[in-house]
Amino acid sequence: MSAILELRGVHKSFRGADGNLIEVIRVKQFALGTGEQTALVGQSGSGKSTLLNLIAGILLPDEGEILVNSTNPTQLSEAARDRFRAANIGYVFQSFNLLQGFTALENVLLGQMFGGGNGGTDRAVQLLNNVGLGHRLHHKPRALSVGEQQRVAIARALVNAPTLVLADEPTGSLDSKNGTAVLELLRRVCTEGKHTLLLVTHDPHVMERFEKVVRLEDLQ
Amino acid sequence: MNLVKIVIKNMRQRALATWLTGASVMLGVALAVAILLIKLGVQQRFEQGTLGYEMVVGAKGSPLQLVLNVVYNLDISLGNISWKLFEQLRNDKRIKLAVPFSVGDNYKGFRIVGTTDAFFKDFEFEPGRKPELAAGRIFNFSEDALKSAFQEAAERAREREAKERGEEVKPAPEPAPVEHPFEAVVGSTVAEQTSLAVGQKFIAAHGVQPSAEAKEHTENPWTVVGILKPTHTAVDRAIYINLDSFYHIEGHELRGPTAPEKSEEKDNDPDPGQVSSIVLKLRSPITAFGLYREINDREDAMAAFPAAEIRKLFDIVGNIDRLLLAQAILILIVAGVAIAVSIYNSMSERRREIAILRALGARRATIFSIVLLEAVTICLFGAAAGLVGGHLVVGLANGALYKASGFVIPAFHIQPLEWYILAVAVILGAVAGLGPAVGAYRTDVAKNLAPTS
Repeated sequence: MSAILELRGVHKSFRGADGNLIEVIRVKQFALGTGEQTALVGQSGSGKSTLLNLIAGILLPDEGEILVNSTNPTQLSEAARDRFRAANIGYVFQSFNLLQGFTALENVLLGQMFGGGNGGTDRAVQLLNNVGLGHRLHHKPRALSVGEQQRVAIARALVNAPTLVLADEPTGSLDSKNGTAVLELLRRVCTEGKHTLLLVTHDPHVMERFEKVVRLEDLQ
Repeated sequence: MNLVKIVIKNMRQRALATWLTGASVMLGVALAVAILLIKLGVQQRFEQGTLGYEMVVGAKGSPLQLVLNVVYNLDISLGNISWKLFEQLRNDKRIKLAVPFSVGDNYKGFRIVGTTDAFFKDFEFEPGRKPELAAGRIFNFSEDALKSAFQEAAERAREREAKERGEEVKPAPEPAPVEHPFEAVVGSTVAEQTSLAVGQKFIAAHGVQPSAEAKEHTENPWTVVGILKPTHTAVDRAIYINLDSFYHIEGHELRGPTAPEKSEEKDNDPDPGQVSSIVLKLRSPITAFGLYREINDREDAMAAFPAAEIRKLFDIVGNIDRLLLAQAILILIVAGVAIAVSIYNSMSERRREIAILRALGARRATIFSIVLLEAVTICLFGAAAGLVGGHLVVGLANGALYKASGFVIPAFHIQPLEWYILAVAVILGAVAGLGPAVGAYRTDVAKNLAPTS
């Protein structure tokens, strides 16, 4: 199985209010293969979201190497890194992060716009159908339930057929029933699309659904 | 999905702020357009108004006052000039047409102008355009009747002067019957606003402007014999009567000449009468300056070129236009500041949206463009609405303006300067959007993506 994601000697620190550097991320070695689905667990505030932002190229590491599809995004210009992220990485957030002024379909199309626009509206509609929202295409987020909003976010993350999907506590804002449904949906669509999934959680119910669970502190 | 659609969505999401800031731009632009149109209208009206009046002659004083008085029926008369001068000019080979005017009365604020039938038969208020009748006929006129009226007016003047000196007054001979009883031809605006119709009588009041104390000539009611078609010039706002009946009216006595003449000349060839002004049409423009100098060398009269005087007037009022335009530009600048403040105020909620777009792969430059484009779009639409609105408002006000002043502004004439206003509005939008756009450009993505509870 070829590696889709590789992290080697990655360090990230932030300057605290007192001016001292606080090390948030220290990863010696970590890799994910094609189509693999992994839960990354850790306590709240342990740096799980920071690690996803580093992998997505939203943050840059102080040291180390991050390879996505054998490309090191940190070596690209910022604009190229943005394009790379749009085309290769799908991101699902805990708080959905849908744009309120746009319909479900438009939110998915936004993801497509920045990722090169392959597939057009048909692909976006097909994905929304696939997540069970074919009848809610033209509804704005506030007209959707929280479970439906997260399903729109999943469709948006997959619209550019990314090789890697990052999910940051995707069930954190949902009740147990909706959380289970969304998690199963995310796993199903990633399996069908052969997308590699790295899901961050601190919820034991979520962890137990993954065959591979990695603790952040074990990566140090 | 494209940038424009994102911008429109953003504007719709903050519809109230978008409308309010767009409306402020619209107001500024509409005001600027209205000022430009009014300036154009007034300038065109005044310049066009001078077309038929190559040269005007009147008593010594301000040339601009003479022009305003003769061409536009504005301001008060400078005084009288001699009929003899009129006759000299009429017989001058360089002059194609000389038309005399006498003013002194008004009806409901509309000036009553005594003249001859040449005003209707030969005078062109614009090249190729003579006053035309919409109804009735022109008044009757004969020079013999005028000379008799002059004599009668001179008698009355002598009688008044004798009374003032306390001398015994010899009763004046019974006045000859008036050959052409008080006939009037009214301008179109006068007819419209006073409802005067052919056959109706009206009483004139003394003075060129209405006054509560003005004496009314109740003994001499005028009869409307004709109504003129609209000319869109000052002609529409005047009532024309024949000069002979003008001098039959009590109070229209001949006064002393405006400058003393040589006594021997006066004895040998006494001045038969007076008029307020004379309009001249020349046979050739080459002779204009020579004639102008000759008249101005006289001690009792002056000549003026209406077109030149009006140009001078607009050189002066042009500064007022610039002040009004500066005010409109200030409104536009305030509107630009309002746009910048409005976008700044929405930045806290926008930062999350910007972070989401960045996480989806939008480049910093794209985010910068979206915010800048939003400010420019508000300004562009506001300015476009202002352009249309400015023309519409002036167009709608034209009816009332015509009633009040007798002239119409070319409300739907687009001036090249308007495109500059549009360009200025776009630049203003870009400047207003620059600060918020830089703020958006610098948005910390990771920080703003964090969940909010």
